[in-house]
Amino acid sequence: MAEVLAGAVPAGTAAGRREVSRSRAVRRFKWIILLPLLLTLFSLLIPVLLLQLYFSFHQWTVYLSSWWNADFVAFDIFASVFTDPRFGWALLRSLAFAGGSTIGCFVFGFLLAYLIYRPFRGQALYYALFILPMLTVPIVIAYTGQMLLDRSGPLNGILSRLSGHDVQVLWLSNPDIALLTVTLLDIWNWTPFSFIIMLAGLASLPKEPIEAAQILGASSWRIFLEVQLPLLRPVILLALILRFLDAMGAFPIIWALLQGGPGTATETLGIYIYITTWQDFNVSLGAAQSYITMVMMVVIVLGAIQLLRKEKRSLDQMYAKPAEAGEAG
Amino acid sequence: MARIELVNLAKSYGPVLAVRNLSFNIEDGEFIVFVGPSGCGKTTTLRLIAGFEEPDRGEIRIDGRVVNDLEPRDRGLGMVFQSHALFPHKTVAQNIEFGLRMKKVGREERVRRVLEVAEMVRLTNLLHQMPSACSGGEAQRVALARTLVTNPSTFLLDEPLSSLDAKLRRELRAECDRLHQELKKTFIYVTHDQEEAMTLADRIVVMRSGQIEQIGSPMEIYSNPVTDFVADFFGSPSMNLIAGELIHQGTGPRFHSINISIALPDPFNDLPDGAVSLGIRPENVIVQPGAAATADLNLPVRLVEPLGKDTLLYFDVGSERPLVAVCEGLTMAEMEAGDRVALTFAREWIFLFGGDGRCIARGKPGSAPMRAQLAGTRA
Amino acid sequence: MTRSQRRHAAAAVRYAALTLWALIVAFPLYWMVSTSFKPSDQWFSWPPVWFPSPPTLENYRDVWLGTTSVAAGGQYAMEMQTPFLALRNTLLLAFGATTLAVLYGSIIAYGVSRYRLLSEVRMFQLLMLRMVPPIVIVAPLSLYYSYIGLLDSMFGLGVLYFLSSLPYAVWMTKSFIDEVPREVEQAAEILGASRWRTIFEVVLPLIRSGLVATFMFILILNWSEYLLALILSKTHVVTLPVELSKYEGSTEGRLFGRQAALSVGITVPLMIVGILIRKHLARGFSFGMVRR
Repeated sequence: MAEVLAGAVPAGTAAGRREVSRSRAVRRFKWIILLPLLLTLFSLLIPVLLLQLYFSFHQWTVYLSSWWNADFVAFDIFASVFTDPRFGWALLRSLAFAGGSTIGCFVFGFLLAYLIYRPFRGQALYYALFILPMLTVPIVIAYTGQMLLDRSGPLNGILSRLSGHDVQVLWLSNPDIALLTVTLLDIWNWTPFSFIIMLAGLASLPKEPIEAAQILGASSWRIFLEVQLPLLRPVILLALILRFLDAMGAFPIIWALLQGGPGTATETLGIYIYITTWQDFNVSLGAAQSYITMVMMVVIVLGAIQLLRKEKRSLDQMYAKPAEAGEAG
Repeated sequence: MARIELVNLAKSYGPVLAVRNLSFNIEDGEFIVFVGPSGCGKTTTLRLIAGFEEPDRGEIRIDGRVVNDLEPRDRGLGMVFQSHALFPHKTVAQNIEFGLRMKKVGREERVRRVLEVAEMVRLTNLLHQMPSACSGGEAQRVALARTLVTNPSTFLLDEPLSSLDAKLRRELRAECDRLHQELKKTFIYVTHDQEEAMTLADRIVVMRSGQIEQIGSPMEIYSNPVTDFVADFFGSPSMNLIAGELIHQGTGPRFHSINISIALPDPFNDLPDGAVSLGIRPENVIVQPGAAATADLNLPVRLVEPLGKDTLLYFDVGSERPLVAVCEGLTMAEMEAGDRVALTFAREWIFLFGGDGRCIARGKPGSAPMRAQLAGTRA
Repeated sequence: MTRSQRRHAAAAVRYAALTLWALIVAFPLYWMVSTSFKPSDQWFSWPPVWFPSPPTLENYRDVWLGTTSVAAGGQYAMEMQTPFLALRNTLLLAFGATTLAVLYGSIIAYGVSRYRLLSEVRMFQLLMLRMVPPIVIVAPLSLYYSYIGLLDSMFGLGVLYFLSSLPYAVWMTKSFIDEVPREVEQAAEILGASRWRTIFEVVLPLIRSGLVATFMFILILNWSEYLLALILSKTHVVTLPVELSKYEGSTEGRLFGRQAALSVGITVPLMIVGILIRKHLARGFSFGMVRR
């Protein structure tokens, strides 16, 4: 047997291979795989995070000196972030935007998925069409939005046509509705994402329990509430969490469209940080803001991970194969 | 009361005709088994009765009332699925009580009935488990209980035992039988397993390509198959079918095939000459060691399969499938390949099938051509 | 109402709702395309012009073949380059980073699938890495990059694209690898193949279509990336999305038509790719929450 194997394998390896124990080889294999990743991460992420931390504690005014000569100011900068009302407003706006986008994408995505998941004529066409918005670049959406939502743009044109009189909503220049506008655009952009996730979830539901419920007397609504929804919980959570996290960090679409304006009407966290760092050139303040935002996001993310893992576990358990032979009568 | 009438039912899926012009009545309290190969339309028929599919044509009546327009939940039926179809996120008890909750039965009453039914299928100690913790057999019993508790007039069962191993299948089969005896309700059972059909049914409906091939009690189906298809489908090992010719010679009707020439008894006298298939069940092939001039065939044994209770012997007769003979016990187990034996076909049990598969005649005196047995047209 | 009548009524409602959304989806896209064909006097008129009359190719000509260097004001005080340079950059970056990410990601995925290289927790953490908004690290990142000379370089940006694609690559290819029966690898192992050989000659070829789908999906992400490209590029490494944003500060007024022409150029390839892999999209987004 060994000769046969040796023939199929480069000479010298067979003998060497027998000596290296299997678990050792596996471990070596694992490390080889992970090494590039770890190297890149460490050489990139750690210095960046350290720099970030450094700037949070050292006031650096860009044009005054080189950054390593910045003054140490302990927690002053952090304190200023916490006492900055503008930061609080930016946070609120981020939450509003992310919350609105998440809920909107979810509601529409779920609705669409529910309408479409059973086969019917034209299903493929509708599906292909519905995923398109997700494939557009946020920048493109921003500029197309500019065109559409202009005071004399087509959207107002349609509304005028429908309502009978001249409608000239200032979608982009009215500070009271600017945030809403950009939220709606984001919903348009990302509904396909929730749509696809919910569709996958609905399609994966076992069909026979639903039929069993039907013949046991359940109405469609009951079936939805008691049979489909509970089984869809992991997927729903996934859709909500992913969308929310992504929306909290949304930058391109808001920046390209409104630059945080009009005024500060759409100034979310990301925008504010950008302005602080690249327009006001207050690198230190920006760093502190970034750090706080990052910590916040990490906390949310960790919570999300716990939730999702729990859901995954219950999902695996529910669908586990029943015990094989040896069942008690 | 639950008398079910199927009148001229037809259902296609696109170009595929799943059920064609099916008419059949099921009496109250009967155990009816629809049996046939995959794709024969038996499951479709069941689903039509349940209401999960709508027929293209025809009517379904329950107790005289046309139910085509009723949703499954309004038909008063109960159904057990092939894959137990339990709600994976609810406990066994919650699964069982589901139907009662849909009927707005009060809590106390629900608990009482769930316990009652759980005892009936011996599940009382499982009530708080999740379906994923149940074995296959337990899960199917939960499915049964879930249906039982709603007290339907008719039970529909769609291959409920297919996903279980042989031993479990026999146990649950006995369970189904017992339930039917106790409850005296109508059971409509679908399976592809002829053994299940034979053991459980009051009447068997053999289906093929969307139509009914034959209806009858297990005895009738077995001893008087209307077509070679039915003859071949029932019985294990299946009936031997040999292609050949019916010829009338001076001495009377004879069957001729490649190595075979057999004298046929009187009932075959009035038949015209022509191409036929001869059918004889393995248990009706009488084997004697050595050669005999009076035997139908003298052949060497090709293969011996001792099964303990029986012994199977295989012979080459020039057709694709070997001729199989079943001998009781181990008397023939000593045989080896190559030994010569004498084979005789029990005259009463010889069947002749025509070119179209229909049974033309049977060796048993007094049995007329089987046209009367066929219900439902055949294309 | 009979059953089939009910069925038809429900279908009618369904079609109505779906068509409504279809219009909501299609309209902005239509507007973008039609504007790209509009002569400049029809870019913003009231009442709005629904269909360009006559349709013209001058926007495309100006943008893509343009010798017109629009003096862009605002914060992009530099000359507009012909988008072909941006196109080249985008192509190189997107394809390069994606290829590497899918390759490396599938190797990691193999390790996770067969050898539990990463625990479940780590897998989720990997995913969440991507979820932290990049805005929070771009500032120090750009400083760091300028310090080590990676600013405005393809390599610098490429590494970032590669890293940010990795989580998706690992997750998606893992789901494909999970479906390859272990027996196939065990057969290879008995025949003497090394682990690496098994990966490249046995496992990866078996999930070819999955790899393609993963590749295209990540390609879309990298193609449309904006923030990192914006911050970390100055003159050399301009990508298409950044190129588009230059129109924002244009001193010639709002060049809707040309913006549209460029937008169409950016969007159409993405849509084609997306449509091609539409059947695989669900898999990419499931992350273990959907039963297979």
